[in-house]
Amino acid sequence: MRRLLKWLLPEADLRAFESEQSELHDARRARDGDAAAARGRRADRRRLVMRLVADRLRASRPSAPPDGGGRVGAVYRLRQIGQDLRHSARSLLRTPGLATTIVLTVGLGLGATTAMVSVIRAVVVRPLPYRDADRLVLVRTQDGDNLFNLSVADYQALDAQQTSFAAVAASQQISVTVAVNGVVERQRARVVTASYFSLLGLTPVAGRLLDRSDEHAGGRAVVLNAPYWRTRFGGDQSVVGSAVTIDGTARTVVGVLSQTNGPLEQDIALFEVADWPTPQRKGPFFLTVLASVRPTVPRQAAAAELEAIDRRIFPIWQSSYQDDRATWVMVDLKSRIVGTAGEPLWLVSAGVAGVLLIACVNAASLLVARALQRRRELAVRAALGASRGQIVRGLLAESTVLVGAAAAMATAVAFGALRVVTAFGTGYIPRIDEVRLAGPALWWLAGLTGLGAIVIGVLPAWSGSRVAGGVGLDVGSRTMSEGPASKRTRRVLVAAEFAVATPLVVAAGLIIGSLNRLLHVDVGMDGQHVITASISLPAAHYSTAAAHAFWERTRAGLLAEPGVSGVAFADSRPPVDAEDINNFDLEDRPTRPDEHQPVCPWIAVTEEFFKTTGLALVRGRLLDQRDFASTAPPVILVDRAWARRFFGTDDVVGRRLREGGCATCPWTTVIGEVATVKYLGLEAPDEGTVYQPIDDSQRERFLVVSSTRPASTLGPALGVAVHALDPDLAVSGIATIDDLVSASIATPRYLSVLVGAFALTALLLSVVGIYGVMTHFVTRHARDIGIRLALGGAPERIGRMVIANGLKVVLTGVALGLIAAALLTRLMASVLFDVAPTDLPTFLGVPALMILIAVLACLLPARRAAKVEPAVILRDA
Amino acid sequence: MARDALQPFELQVLLAALRLGDEAYSVPIVIELEKHTRRRVSQAAVFIAVRRLEARGLVTTRLDDRGTETGRVRRYVRLTPDAKRLLRETRDLQARLWHGLDRLLGRG
Repeated sequence: MRRLLKWLLPEADLRAFESEQSELHDARRARDGDAAAARGRRADRRRLVMRLVADRLRASRPSAPPDGGGRVGAVYRLRQIGQDLRHSARSLLRTPGLATTIVLTVGLGLGATTAMVSVIRAVVVRPLPYRDADRLVLVRTQDGDNLFNLSVADYQALDAQQTSFAAVAASQQISVTVAVNGVVERQRARVVTASYFSLLGLTPVAGRLLDRSDEHAGGRAVVLNAPYWRTRFGGDQSVVGSAVTIDGTARTVVGVLSQTNGPLEQDIALFEVADWPTPQRKGPFFLTVLASVRPTVPRQAAAAELEAIDRRIFPIWQSSYQDDRATWVMVDLKSRIVGTAGEPLWLVSAGVAGVLLIACVNAASLLVARALQRRRELAVRAALGASRGQIVRGLLAESTVLVGAAAAMATAVAFGALRVVTAFGTGYIPRIDEVRLAGPALWWLAGLTGLGAIVIGVLPAWSGSRVAGGVGLDVGSRTMSEGPASKRTRRVLVAAEFAVATPLVVAAGLIIGSLNRLLHVDVGMDGQHVITASISLPAAHYSTAAAHAFWERTRAGLLAEPGVSGVAFADSRPPVDAEDINNFDLEDRPTRPDEHQPVCPWIAVTEEFFKTTGLALVRGRLLDQRDFASTAPPVILVDRAWARRFFGTDDVVGRRLREGGCATCPWTTVIGEVATVKYLGLEAPDEGTVYQPIDDSQRERFLVVSSTRPASTLGPALGVAVHALDPDLAVSGIATIDDLVSASIATPRYLSVLVGAFALTALLLSVVGIYGVMTHFVTRHARDIGIRLALGGAPERIGRMVIANGLKVVLTGVALGLIAAALLTRLMASVLFDVAPTDLPTFLGVPALMILIAVLACLLPARRAAKVEPAVILRDA
Repeated sequence: MARDALQPFELQVLLAALRLGDEAYSVPIVIELEKHTRRRVSQAAVFIAVRRLEARGLVTTRLDDRGTETGRVRRYVRLTPDAKRLLRETRDLQARLWHGLDRLLGRG
């Protein structure tokens, strides 16, 4: 307080005040008592500071800075700025339409950009929320272009022999049936080695995490994930040490993992300790192996060690694995998780930034127009002695007020946008749960706001000051021209809007075109009438024979349901759930030593699968009962794409191959060819699918039902039928093929909506821009138009002249925009399906559409021009 | 004229200072005002009012720091002829405005 007073008062005044104050204090103390006097004294000091500050801000007029001095000068300038801002706010309130448009558009642009910056920061830029995140890698097997997981044999060898890594851990994602308090449900779980949690630096919130002793205790220890613990156990600490039934077996909860936002824990309900049996052969390859590279070991050295270990163990397993070109590689964990999500995000950000840029340009254009409209006022101010600097400052204050309001709105928009993105983006965008509107993003907002204020403020201020300075008081005349430079300014701004909007609309066109192609991809199955659901039998309760009996009873039970015409089982379902992808070697076309073996989805199905799904037989025969016998020679069916890929139009029936790189296994024979179905995603090219008889030991299956009943009524019936046979089983993921197809294209759909919305906004703003410019053009040239009409000019020609004038601006912008689009859409290749980044119809259609819309926008001013009453105009002029 | 008009509190301070004569500084002014208004008066308000009056040329002030050894510093206030003229004008204006109103206002 005293420091403030010292700053506000000359030294002698302060001394006098303090002395007189203690004098009065003494007098009051005698009268009111100590406490009251002290309170009064403090209140007085506060009041003095406030009054002095208020005096400084208010008292004298701007023309007379009081008693000099640097501090006072600064206060004086501050007060002037305050005055400018208040004046601008009042003046803007007189044109609420303009102010609202600018605040809304710029606020939306700023807010959306801030939201996208937050998302990109969380998803792409920030390290994963794990210990030594930048040193975390996945160890994978690379075979040509294919990357796949490691096997138990691989992991054990790696764990025992490696020296380059501080730790290695393996995990396997599975789904389990959990029974808790009478609720039976399917949950996602992860089987992990004891080293898993310490490798990632995760900690328990209750109990403990897994350790080595759990690994050899029969795999009974379970760690709950925090969200699941809260929803299913109400966050009860006493759950530690209790038993839960997982897949029919009692397990012990040893602890609860503390809440993380890490992508590896997303949607995982619980972690089971790994207890994999000692491998008899090299495969199968189902382990995700994580490793943390030691800080002292260079990446190349770690990679070289991986290759060396892989080579060392190759001879041990050669009888079951011959592919000596496959090798272990390191993949950065973050790049693997973020994957290709970064590119669409950058694309959306570019869209958002484009909208922001257009919004700013639009605001600048509107303010330039406003400055021109106010030219008389500005000229009067200049004539009354306002310096050019003062006028510029006033105009800048106006844009500052606008951008300030826009920034306030942007904060709300960003907040709302992030809520929407996190709510709808789960599942499409990795790491979306890590997104927060926090410090750095708000700094971005501040920076962008500043930049926006400059973009919006400088041009209008410049042209306004030119108007005020360059033209005299004779500006009252209606047809006064505002000088060629200012006129050009607005036209250039509108052209710039079109130049930014064009690539956005082109991008939206490409993405929507791509989505349209995806929507028309034939998945190969009856989408409406085939309903699928997932069932998993716990191995503890179901022997192979019991499982066989269960599947048969389920089939019989469901066939009795009204409307059901077929019931089958498979281990995969279209369009993206392929359980197994297998490599093989054809007898007729053996793989050359320098080649990798071909691979394709390997779908295990029951006999009735083809009839149920309506897959047409092209050649040969379908699977029948004999093929399912354990002693039966291995047979497969292939689809048309497979047949075409390897044998063209030749007959494939009777061809033989060896599966899984096994050189000693018996030959597998192709017995028939069926129609093609997509299992690797709609966008994946058809490279063939193999169907084999399903094994009774396959306890995790998709139920496939064909029915004339809608999924909404049949779905619950499926659950009821299965529960009647075993109340401890959960039926999950009930969906028609159409549902699954629709879910598989959620990301492109999401992206189309986003980019489409931005493009539409950009287009709308540009159209508003050209409309404004042309309206202004007509007003300004009213007298010329009137004269022309009076001299017998045809109104249609006048209208055409206005449109041609507007089109000149639009065409320039669109042409520049197309060049930019041609350069930029190349970066979109990865998000496009079956549409070239330079797709000619889009590159022709989009400009045509934009020009058409621009013509429509010019039509109104053109009509007004054609309807000008020459007599009225000439009389008024 | 608007610039010359006195704020009510400034008027009170001027009248108190006039009454105190050579002994006018913030402490006796506060006490004097509290005596007449029967309300607590802020010393800060008096201090500010004196500054404003001084800026308008209605009072002059004199810093008395002869008691520096005892730590006592006072800023004495004295009315300028302008202030006295303004007080007279204010009083006359008020008198004219009040003339004949007592009967309508009645006795409180």
